[in-house]
Amino acid sequence: MYKDKIIQRIQKNKHSLRPLPENPPKMEDKIDLSAKFCENLKIVGADVFRIDDESLVSPFIDLHFPNAVDFSDPETWKEYSSTDPIDKFNKLNTVILRGQFGVAENGAVWLDDTFFSQRIVPFIAQHLVIKLSKKNLVGGMVEAYRKINLTKTGFGVFISGPSKTADIEQVLVFGAHGPLKHTVLLIN
Amino acid sequence: MMNHAAKAGKFLADLKRADWHDQTLWIMRKKRDKAVSCVPEWEELRDKASQIKEHVLSNLDAYLLQFEVEAVKNGAQVHWAFDSESFNQKVYSIINGYQAQKVVKSKSMLTEECGLNPYLEDKGIEVVDTDLGERIIQLRGEPPSHMVVPAIHLKKEEIGELFHSKLGTEKGLADAQKLTSAARQHLRKKFLSAEVAITGVNFSVAETGTVVVCTNEGNADMGVQIAPVQIHCMGIEKILPRVEDLGIFIQMLARNATGQPITTYTSHYQKPKPGGAMHIIIVDNGRSEHLGNSKYRDSLKCIRCGACLNTCPVYRRSGGHSYNYVISGPVGSILSPIYSINKYKDLPFASSLCGSCTNVCPVKINIHQQLYSWRQEIFEKRLIPTSKRYGFKFAGKILASSRYYNFFGKNIRWALKHLPRKVLYHRINIWGRCRELPPAPDKTFNQWYQENYKRN
Repeated sequence: MYKDKIIQRIQKNKHSLRPLPENPPKMEDKIDLSAKFCENLKIVGADVFRIDDESLVSPFIDLHFPNAVDFSDPETWKEYSSTDPIDKFNKLNTVILRGQFGVAENGAVWLDDTFFSQRIVPFIAQHLVIKLSKKNLVGGMVEAYRKINLTKTGFGVFISGPSKTADIEQVLVFGAHGPLKHTVLLIN
Repeated sequence: MMNHAAKAGKFLADLKRADWHDQTLWIMRKKRDKAVSCVPEWEELRDKASQIKEHVLSNLDAYLLQFEVEAVKNGAQVHWAFDSESFNQKVYSIINGYQAQKVVKSKSMLTEECGLNPYLEDKGIEVVDTDLGERIIQLRGEPPSHMVVPAIHLKKEEIGELFHSKLGTEKGLADAQKLTSAARQHLRKKFLSAEVAITGVNFSVAETGTVVVCTNEGNADMGVQIAPVQIHCMGIEKILPRVEDLGIFIQMLARNATGQPITTYTSHYQKPKPGGAMHIIIVDNGRSEHLGNSKYRDSLKCIRCGACLNTCPVYRRSGGHSYNYVISGPVGSILSPIYSINKYKDLPFASSLCGSCTNVCPVKINIHQQLYSWRQEIFEKRLIPTSKRYGFKFAGKILASSRYYNFFGKNIRWALKHLPRKVLYHRINIWGRCRELPPAPDKTFNQWYQENYKRN
């Protein structure tokens, strides 16, 4: 078996055990998380709107994204099943998802499949709108990974801005394969 | 086969284009510097990242076995492949097991290394590379010239021409936005009908059986989340012990590669999607042997960020295709001789040994020292051209004796002044082929010193 062969060869060839370093360094936490988060979102090509109160979110969405499909509402999940033809998902234009937490250091938002039933949704839509509570911000990636429980999820992703590429002469273009537009609603 | 110097010569024949290539990569290096300077603890992160990788390599067997247990618990199927042949066979047998024909693939240097695409195509499988740069070079029938930006050697006009003939875009299109949009439409069709999605692996986590893939385009997820079957191909060295270790590497990878704070998508695959199947292939292909080579073991720490390419004055001015190995640039030049010192004996010489590669490496691989060490081995194994070998021997003798040194110095100074150019730049003077000899000084440093300072 290849497995035994590989493992045996590693055991024969590896060097003596080196220590695993503890406690990764931490980002300084004195920074204004939401200011830093918004600044980084702009760098990665996203739009961000600060909304003062949860009650104002629905009217905001009705006004700006009237045709959005709201996957932050579990009722919507019932209308989209994994047995549905992919074309149904391919027609999604603007979708709304709830982000679990955001990372100030890079503008990324963590989403996992406990928050949306169909994993393809944030990738296949043309415009992704993420609702995120301001209290759910962390400084850096080290804290971010401490917050995630990967054993509880099947799939999870950090998303930071619209899908992009610079593969043609290093010219930045939004909308490589995934959403052309990425909006974060940061809710107080 | 043409060696690196000969291919670089060809690359440099079009000086304007070579300059453009140089500048484009230098911009990436500058973006990297800017992003890195925003992280005050950068050097500390490099230390930790390097230590984690060293630890992993010293306990690799245990972590791979732990990873397998956890991944299987999550519902993934784990396979092992010893070499490229067994890897390609495994991938094909999985695809064939589902009677699938259409495969989409996101970027993976491992599959390039193993020659997966031609193998599958031979068996009648349609393999579509979905990263834009990869798709471009796939349509051109070329290997990648850079591990992060595979089509960096091409101008937009050439891509326009390619898309015109292969994708039916209008003739003369040379706008990056419009070309990308054409590729988006072309590839979306491929995604929607894909039966199997193949990805590489940036990192995997032993304690949770997680596979992590980083992309900017979202192509890994468009493939994986649509195709019923997902296959992740991972080199044995990709493993990390704990989820929290990802915090360090994700913080560094994109900053060091392209100067972004993070890639747009950092996807964590644990369980197959409802109704889907998830396969992970753990590939050795010479790595466990490499592990036993204590002098060059460190290069297994590489996370394929590409920073050493962007910073390398030789890579920037010779292009990735000058290296006859799938991974180009400084790190490719220390990885390739491990597989065949004979075949890649020219690559450790494709460097100025300036050490910039070592300085930008996020996992602190001593790249320039390994390059130097390879040169010594290649010399000892008599793999360098005879002219060079005797040249070195001769130079060694002269430099070791002050008598010889003074004698030759005097004669060469005379020759530089009096012999015609035709003689000095005779074709046996290989060094002078692309270089100008310096003007000869009137006297030696010694003479000058004696006259000015000696008896003061």
